[in-house]
Amino acid sequence: MLAVHRDVVNIVQAKFLSAEVVKSIHLNVSSLDGNWCDEGRILALVEYNKTFALFILISAKPKPVSISDLSIETVIPIDRNFSCDTEPIEDSQCHIIFIITYKKTKLSFKIEIGVESSNFASEVIRSKEVSSHNSPVFVWLDKYLGTMNQQNRNSSDLTEQSDLPITRQHIAQGQTAINRESMLKYQLKLREPEYTQIQEFTVFVGTWNVNGQAPTVSLRSWLSTDDDPPDVYAVGFQEIDLSKEAFLFNDTPREAEWNKYVLDGVHPKAKYRCVALIRLVGMQLAVMVNTQHYPHVSNISYDTVGTGLLGKMGNKGGVAIRLQLHNTSLCFVNCHLAAHVEEFERRNQDYKDINARMNFRRSPLAIKDHEQVYWLGDLNYRITDLTTTQVKTLLARNEMTTLLRADQLNQQKERGNVLLDYTEADITFPPTYKYDLNSDTFDTSEKARPPAWTDRILWRGKGIHHVAYRSHMDLKISDHKPVSALFKSEISVVDQNRYRKIHEDLLKKMDKHENEYLPQVTIDQTEIIYDLVKFREPQTKEIIIANTGMVPAEFEFIKKLEETSYCKDWLRIIPYCGSINPGEKCDVKLIVNLESDLDRIYDILILHLKGGKDMFITVSGECQKSSFTVSMSLLCRINMPILRLSKEELIQAEKNNLLYSVPREIWLLIDHLYRHGLKTRELFESSALHEELIKIRDWLDHGSLDPIPGSIQATAESLLLFLSYTKDPVIPFNLHEACIAAATNFQNCRQIIVTRVPDLHRNVFLYICLFLQEFLKYSNDNGYDAKTLASLFGDILLRDVDRNSKPQASRGKANFVYNFLVNDLSSSIVPPK
Amino acid sequence: MSAGPYNYSYIFKYIIIGDMGVGKSCLLHQFTEKKFMADCPHTIGVEFGTRIIEVSGQKIKLQIWDTAGQERFRAVTRSYYRGAAGALMVYDITRRSTYNHLSSWLTDTRNLTNPSTVIFLIGNKCDLEGQRDVTYEEASKFAEENGLMFVEASAKTGDNVEEAFLETAKKIYQSIQDGRLDLNAAESGVQHKPSQPGGRPGTAAGGDQPGRDNCAC
Repeated sequence: MLAVHRDVVNIVQAKFLSAEVVKSIHLNVSSLDGNWCDEGRILALVEYNKTFALFILISAKPKPVSISDLSIETVIPIDRNFSCDTEPIEDSQCHIIFIITYKKTKLSFKIEIGVESSNFASEVIRSKEVSSHNSPVFVWLDKYLGTMNQQNRNSSDLTEQSDLPITRQHIAQGQTAINRESMLKYQLKLREPEYTQIQEFTVFVGTWNVNGQAPTVSLRSWLSTDDDPPDVYAVGFQEIDLSKEAFLFNDTPREAEWNKYVLDGVHPKAKYRCVALIRLVGMQLAVMVNTQHYPHVSNISYDTVGTGLLGKMGNKGGVAIRLQLHNTSLCFVNCHLAAHVEEFERRNQDYKDINARMNFRRSPLAIKDHEQVYWLGDLNYRITDLTTTQVKTLLARNEMTTLLRADQLNQQKERGNVLLDYTEADITFPPTYKYDLNSDTFDTSEKARPPAWTDRILWRGKGIHHVAYRSHMDLKISDHKPVSALFKSEISVVDQNRYRKIHEDLLKKMDKHENEYLPQVTIDQTEIIYDLVKFREPQTKEIIIANTGMVPAEFEFIKKLEETSYCKDWLRIIPYCGSINPGEKCDVKLIVNLESDLDRIYDILILHLKGGKDMFITVSGECQKSSFTVSMSLLCRINMPILRLSKEELIQAEKNNLLYSVPREIWLLIDHLYRHGLKTRELFESSALHEELIKIRDWLDHGSLDPIPGSIQATAESLLLFLSYTKDPVIPFNLHEACIAAATNFQNCRQIIVTRVPDLHRNVFLYICLFLQEFLKYSNDNGYDAKTLASLFGDILLRDVDRNSKPQASRGKANFVYNFLVNDLSSSIVPPK
Repeated sequence: MSAGPYNYSYIFKYIIIGDMGVGKSCLLHQFTEKKFMADCPHTIGVEFGTRIIEVSGQKIKLQIWDTAGQERFRAVTRSYYRGAAGALMVYDITRRSTYNHLSSWLTDTRNLTNPSTVIFLIGNKCDLEGQRDVTYEEASKFAEENGLMFVEASAKTGDNVEEAFLETAKKIYQSIQDGRLDLNAAESGVQHKPSQPGGRPGTAAGGDQPGRDNCAC
């Protein structure tokens, strides 16, 4: 990452969780959409738990200075559906178009060509290669999808992808599991020193370019030259087969042959077991461990990178094996870099390519991410600016310092072009190339190549102490001499007992944490008792939900099993769901509004916390009877206002004889309208004050010698309310369809009223129609016509089961009532029996 | 470090039921926090607790729903029985009435859970030997007659609390192994979570082994 961007990276990083690491960013990006060009974008490659995603951020400033300058526009998961490409811009030399494709989505960005863009692109490509080896899971992106605006969510087409493993439910259920896992991993890492101890392991690393020769001599003098057996062997060869078959088909019998000689050549005082053997054309690498260490080897993985012909063939390149020994990650890289004296830059490039392209399956670690890296091989760097004769002379005089100063690897390394952080032990052995076969004589052929230290071993990482670095002159079958290095390497060894104890300890803590991190709220009261609940006189009680936990609490009132709603129809809860931050409160209103005939209200509400507990809130109250909600039949059987009778007397009254042909209350309301309202304009349309309606309700229910209170319009509205809420509609529900069907013919309508509607209901119906006919006689004064009244009363006299289901009047019902407003009703009235 | 050991393979749902004041919440608290909660208020609703345990080397996450015991909530708490893999049915050994109501709790449990739900009877407050109102033998006989697992426990001292929760899990796990509990059934009360690859640190049993056997030795 460019040093100048370090501060910006920190700002971008602040946009993410700490476990979500911003790997690379690109500033000053313009988003292209058709002809539009939106500046001020930043691209960020973010890694979480071995998965990668590309974020497109909108930056308020060209170079953001604080987190508030940034917002996330889009996020694209990097998986097998992801691809990226570049396209030149016709009239521009210094910009290119960077194209990102994810399934059907294609995004284009204009970026400046330079180090930043090539670094960024190569990081993205690398992450794509890593992802294609895995089955990445992108649950962690879900929270960012949530923060993007709706338009972007749709346009990026991410949420609809069925095979994209992002689901809200997933995160809802698994959230704690994910946090838990990464948290535990983190905690374990922090406490690593407590359950590990350092042990020194002997690591033997050998490299030999065998020049295509078959093995014929024992390798003991190379591999077993030390007194004590090493714990780990890493043995690399180059050019084990120079045949075309090996090159083209990557298949050679030499692999097995050389490996057999290696196994025969390892130290006789110990038994070894192969961890992995890997080969690309002529490059072969075997890693072996003393059998007793094998149970402590894990996470073995390997890969090969060809950098030869076409930049990909395996005649040059590298092979690598990574593993974990106890608790330390190791990586061994065997390479064969480009040949020829003058090609040192090509060799530098090969080195970079090997680093960039080496992908260990199921491990996102790059070579450099390992705690210890051992780099071996025929690096092919030569001695420059000295002739063969000069080199030989200097060697004869043992002027190693002069020679090593002319060594290209030392020069390039010093300039930071290759193996930057690697260390090499002092070279005390003669150049290992190029010898006449079966001799210790440097090349005597016509070419007479200058001798060079082509075969090298370097290392990188903590706790590696080199013990020996040498060549082995006894092996003469190749034009190279084998080289070996011996290391005492510090390996972190897990004490299983201590590990188990700390692990258990952490688990327990996390259980505790997890319970502590459950959403917690308290409610100030769980039993709500209302004052006497009266018809259409809403009462509000407030409960206070306080978040006493450590995480935001999302609450919702949920329905009980086998119920259709989270509360009964006499209650409204505002708000019925919401989110409360820790330490904050939320007032919830519970509004009761009685519109039916109940003795008492009672319900248990379930207040559910998402991902946590449920609380029960009991709501109750006694209800006051009202003439508006009981049946008309009951009203016709009592001779006094309803509230003058006790509940028992009312139950008793159900069995009384009919005292009236229409309820007293209807008669009182209509009588008042008849006397005072016939000439009132907009009688049925002006909304009365709520208090007036309450007063009229009480006047009717309690009875009074005073005149009916309130305005004439309030009386008219009370009549409409009365007819709307009475327990059974004036025309019984089961006759509505017949009425609508008969609406075109008065005689049919009349027939229904006379023969099918119960006596009491017929009386009320005709009584109202007669009043309305009377009312229509004054249409000049009150401005009403029969059609208007019919549609107003149609919906009330034939009210739906579900009140307020449709706002618009039913034409059929209006037509039915219309018949009774314009025809003579005398023949419909059945004389009292 | 590899990712192996902290994932759990299963989630088991438990419910704790029984009369008011028998110590259901205290048992849950003792199990999740290893502490006795004195002056525990009545549960008005359903409390929720979680803990990860190990059975036969498998990590299992227990999701425990601790229900209100008051009779008036009975109708509502019935909604929570569904999908429970384990039911801990608690009575108070010092109050016979709580024991007498067991058959009614048992009826609810049998009616509202599936046949493979493990029901564990807990006689709580066994630290109050002096006030004992229900003998061990009597309850033990009741448990045996009804095919229930049974212990006397104390949420106060912690006696047998761990055992009750763990034994229930073992029985459920056994049912899974025997195939008696169908994991695919929506109401089994068990969720299976496939573990991440990767072995314990310091073993070669990792899931990262090369698939191709190119090792000649």
